Amino acid sequence: MIDKYTWWEKLLIYTGVLVFLTFVLAPFIEAFMVSLRPIDAVFRVPYRFFTEDMSFAAYFTMWENVPKLWRYILNSFFISCCATALALACIIPAAYSFSRFEYRFRNPILGGFLAINMIGAAVLIIPLYKLMLNLGLLNSYASMIIPGAAFTVPTGIFLMRSYLLRIPKELEEAAYVDGAGRIYTLWRVILPVALPGIVVVAITTFITAYAQQFLFALTFNSNSDLHPLPMGLYQFFGRQRIVWNELMAASLVGILPVLLVYVFLQRYIVAGLTAGAVKE
Amino acid sequence: MGQLRMDNVQKRFGDTEVIKGVSLDIANGEFVVFVGPSGCGKSTLLRMIAGLEEISEGEILIDGTVVNDLAPVKRGISMVFQSYALYPHMSVYENIAFPLRVERLAQPEVDKRVKRASDILKLHERLTHKPGQLSGGQRQRVAIGRAIVREPEVFLFDEPLSNLDAALRAEMRVELSKLHRELEATMIYVTHDQVEAMTMADRIVVLDAGFVSQVGSPLELYHRPQNTFVAGFIGNPKMNFLPATCTESDETGATVQLSNGASIRVPVAARPGLEGQALTLGIRPEHIHVDEGDLVLEFTPTVVERLGIHTVTYSTLPDGNGTFTTVLEGTAPAETGKPLGHGFNAADCHLFDGAGAAFSRTAPMADTPPSVLPTGPDHTQ
Ligand SMILES: Nc1ncnc2c1ncn2[C@@H]1O[C@H](COP(=O)(O)OP(=O)(O)OP(=O)(O)O)[C@@H](O)[C@H]1O
Ligand SMILES: [Mg+2]
Repeated sequence: MIDKYTWWEKLLIYTGVLVFLTFVLAPFIEAFMVSLRPIDAVFRVPYRFFTEDMSFAAYFTMWENVPKLWRYILNSFFISCCATALALACIIPAAYSFSRFEYRFRNPILGGFLAINMIGAAVLIIPLYKLMLNLGLLNSYASMIIPGAAFTVPTGIFLMRSYLLRIPKELEEAAYVDGAGRIYTLWRVILPVALPGIVVVAITTFITAYAQQFLFALTFNSNSDLHPLPMGLYQFFGRQRIVWNELMAASLVGILPVLLVYVFLQRYIVAGLTAGAVKE
Repeated sequence: MGQLRMDNVQKRFGDTEVIKGVSLDIANGEFVVFVGPSGCGKSTLLRMIAGLEEISEGEILIDGTVVNDLAPVKRGISMVFQSYALYPHMSVYENIAFPLRVERLAQPEVDKRVKRASDILKLHERLTHKPGQLSGGQRQRVAIGRAIVREPEVFLFDEPLSNLDAALRAEMRVELSKLHRELEATMIYVTHDQVEAMTMADRIVVLDAGFVSQVGSPLELYHRPQNTFVAGFIGNPKMNFLPATCTESDETGATVQLSNGASIRVPVAARPGLEGQALTLGIRPEHIHVDEGDLVLEFTPTVVERLGIHTVTYSTLPDGNGTFTTVLEGTAPAETGKPLGHGFNAADCHLFDGAGAAFSRTAPMADTPPSVLPTGPDHTQ
């Protein structure tokens, strides 16, 4: 493409990008800076960005201060992984059915799924609590995994469906003519071809589940061994004071798994979200 | 064996009737081509034979068995799609082996069959490649390979060459004809390319809006079209039609008068009593000669295309509706804007009645090998 911007247009564009990025990233940077400061220096007046007394001490003391921190991080990861697996197991067949079969009420059902998305988990939390109580699932991993998966399913179905719709019907027809059944075709032909789409759905589901678990853990779980990280972070809220620097350090370590997943799979996300947008 | 019979087959999508009653017999080992304008139902008919589309009415029989409710694989057919429909994540080998994997054949047998298919299609060096790494022609061959490993009795092709460029299309055409001879299987082939139809077919089925317009050998359709639709569809450039009025007719011919007053007697099996009726005179562009013939009409070419071997001219008819096309010799003295004598012989003419049905031509067709021509003038179906 020909570079068609003049220098001042470029300046404008880059300034805009800078402002936007600052807005988005500033909290992370401040969190990182706080995690490096000694606890007494956190609310120092006047504010100074760099100080000589900075160190990584909080990253070591936090494990002693909250001994189960590693367990919370693993819990978070475990809950999100299970929620993702469970959600995918529901999303893939549902999306396949929405994209391939004609049946009555197909579109209303799809609309219903999307409507659930709009209501959101917070509104349904009390009925869900009763449900969990009746099913005897309170204070278990399942109480956090199942709702976590359930609330990611609608978006997942929608994403997956639009991906499956782009897979040519002839691929299935060819398999059908060659004698393959529905399940065999789905397993051997459709899923491999849809893999980039599945990865995209898996990542978005994982990230959503990771972000959502706080609400479910807070409501459905009181067993501190099963707490995910966001609940664990509460233990930095001491009786007299909040250990801000360790809290920030633990938060940053806590988002690390998501960050890693994202960094390694982000090329799939970009490819998956834009595939078919341009004729290849 | 691969004998196929269609009995008043119909197809409706909701309220729209797409196939309106097709009856056809296809012998074992025959190469039959379906042609017709876009949207006439060629693909639909083929997909009904394949078992991908339900049959609304009528019956399809393969080797005497009604297959209406059988799954494709039970019908003994295999199909090659226009878009190839190769599985992008599988190697060429696995693509070709797919139908055998479905059947759960043992590995040695799979190896043997894939090898045989790749020998026929010259694909052995490509077996480990992915479809994405192949050229269009090679992909098409893989698709054909996948169709032949199962050794079906009937092959169905839906415009298999339309995604290829002209040179490759010509090459694949020859290869397909060769394949047909080698496999001795029945092939049903859908195309809108006349050259493919004319060169490969044993018989051509011309479809017009859900009906079979005519069935016959390529040259039979060319020389004895049964109606104006087939006459206009087969042949390129298409046949010229001139409105005419009958002045005299009997069993051996009809004399017609054109709008400019000129008269010609066409040797067709007409019947007496057609006097005064509006008929249509058809004459192919390639049968026009400059200034010579039984009848010479003067038209002024508006466009002259010189192709070297031929000169193609287009003239607007005097009454303003329609174009008169000619294919003349390369050295023909045609010039844009200069009147030219368009001469033709009565024996080359076609005559159609008011409803568009042809009168059988009785003139001997000297330039045609007798083996490809039907014997009687009333040869139909
Ligand atoms: N699933 C369907 N639902 C409704 N109408 C259909 C469906 N499939 C095909 N048709 C209609 O049937 C008619 C014939 O379609 P078909 O695909 O058989 O045409 P075709 O002869 O193969 O044309 P082309 O040369 O363009 O491929 C078309 O008018 C089309 O709109
Ligand atoms: Mg078609």
